[in-house]
Order: sequence, then structure tokens, then C-alpha cells
Amino acid sequence: MKFLISKDLGYNKLLSFLMIAVVMSILMYLVLDAVLHGYVIGFDLHSIDSTLYGNTETFEEPVLIDSLLMQVHIDLFMTIFSLLTLASIYIRLYKKEKANRWLLHVLFGTGIAAPTFLLAAYFFSKPFMYAWLVTFLLWHLLAVMLSVIILKKLYTK
Amino acid sequence: MKFTELYRIPIAYLLVYIVLILGTGIWIFLLSQGLDTEENIGATLQKVGFAPIEKSVYNFVEVAAPHMFAIGTLIFVVAHFMLFSTRFSQKFSLKISVSLFIVALINICAYLLIIFGFVVSGWIKLLSLALFVLLFLLLLGMVAFSL
Repeated sequence: MKFLISKDLGYNKLLSFLMIAVVMSILMYLVLDAVLHGYVIGFDLHSIDSTLYGNTETFEEPVLIDSLLMQVHIDLFMTIFSLLTLASIYIRLYKKEKANRWLLHVLFGTGIAAPTFLLAAYFFSKPFMYAWLVTFLLWHLLAVMLSVIILKKLYTK
Repeated sequence: MKFTELYRIPIAYLLVYIVLILGTGIWIFLLSQGLDTEENIGATLQKVGFAPIEKSVYNFVEVAAPHMFAIGTLIFVVAHFMLFSTRFSQKFSLKISVSLFIVALINICAYLLIIFGFVVSGWIKLLSLALFVLLFLLLLGMVAFSL
């Protein structure tokens, strides 16, 4: 592939504003997405367990596979678009950093692992539930961190 | 390493994410056609072919609306990477992209034909779905090969 590089747009006022706006939107999306998953799947281990496997004491049924798959399907779509946007801006602004490559791999890797672990937890065993929780929180935290780094760079330019 | 090389990482992950999105999408479709109560996928596919589940216009719009936007955007984002490809001609990429858009539209709207009684069987839905997935995988493969 041969990427087309136009002149440095980093100091373009309009582009800077647009990047700040989109990153702030993604930042708010990330926070709300975590809250939404808290409501849908659970805020603590006990409620996540009840959602996935049901609870005989409270007569709760396990979540339907259709609903869970729909959640995973939508999550994958939203995750890739938010991460793709963040990563593109980050690469553009921090082109000289050496740690970029690993950060991107961890970010996209945990982003894809989270929904996969959620399905695995539903079908196989409980340890995947913990794996889902860790990867879900990790990719959200990394994405928030990336957003803050980008905003800092854009504001201090 | 030039910094533009880093763009390969998000693009490569995009391809994997899309394969998973396609996989879960097909799974959800088959579940809606009774996969969970059937013995196997083959039986469900036959059921879709000969007697697809009845759906209302509301059911159709509920599914079609987000998919029109999501599939259109996904094809656009993936196909635009072919602009930078040095391995495939833009003419070929254009043909694949246009075909993919058309097949996606047919696939989304196929259920309308069943709802309004123009066709009884769901083979057109299955055929368009299979063609859509194959074309999308071809496009993903082209992008992967160009990376």
C-alpha cells in the first residue's frame, strides 16, 4: 500500500477543532458505553453472573442468546469505528513515538477480545466472565487515555 | 519505519473485526429463523429456503434501518483503502465495490419480497446473503493482500 500524505495539516485551525470535537464525542461515548454495559450486563461480578447464568434464588433467567449476540454484534461495530478514528488521529499526531505500535496492538486486541470473552463466558465457563471484565475495562481505559493524550496535544499546539 | 506504516495496524484489525461482525450477523439471522430449536444449521437453511419465518413490515424496517447505514459505511471505509493499493487496479476494486453495494441492498431488501408475497421461498435471501458475504470476504482479502 502506498498512503497519500498531503501537507502537514496538524496546524490547520479547522482540522484541529474538528479533531478536538470528534475526540471529545468519542470520550463521552466511551464513558456512556461503560455505563450502558453496567446497566445491561451488570456493574458488579454478582449481577454479571446473574445476567449470564441466571439466578435461582431470585428466579432470574439467563440472558437470551439472541440478545447477547445482538449486543456483541453492535459492540464490535461501535468499537472498531471509535478505535479506528482515535488511532488514526493518534498516529497522525504522535508519529515519532516508538511505543505506538504496542499501544495500538493492545488497544485493538483488547477491544476484540472483550466481546469474544463475553460469548465464551456464556457458552463455556465463568473464568471467561472475569476475562471479559478485565479486557472490557482495559480497552475503555486505554481509549480514554488515548483521547486525553490527543486532546492534550491538540490544546497545547 | 515510516509513521504511515503504523496505519497498517488499525486496518488489519478492521478486517478481523468485520469478519466477526459478519459471523455474528449470520448467526443472529439464523437464530431468528429458528436455529436454536433446529437440529443443525443445514436444517435451518433449508427451512429459510422453503418456508422462511413470517415477518411484518415493522420487523423489516427495524432490521433494515440500522443495516442500511452500517453496511454502507463499512463497505465505504473498507473499499476506500483500495485507493492506496499497489497490487489491484482501481477499475477492479470499483467493480467489486459496486457489486458489493448492489448485493448488500438486495440482501437487506430481500425480505420485502417475502413480506409482500412476491415470492414464497427464501432462497433469494439466502443467495444474496451468501453472495454478499463472499464478495465482502473478497474485498477484505484484497485489502489484506495490499497491506
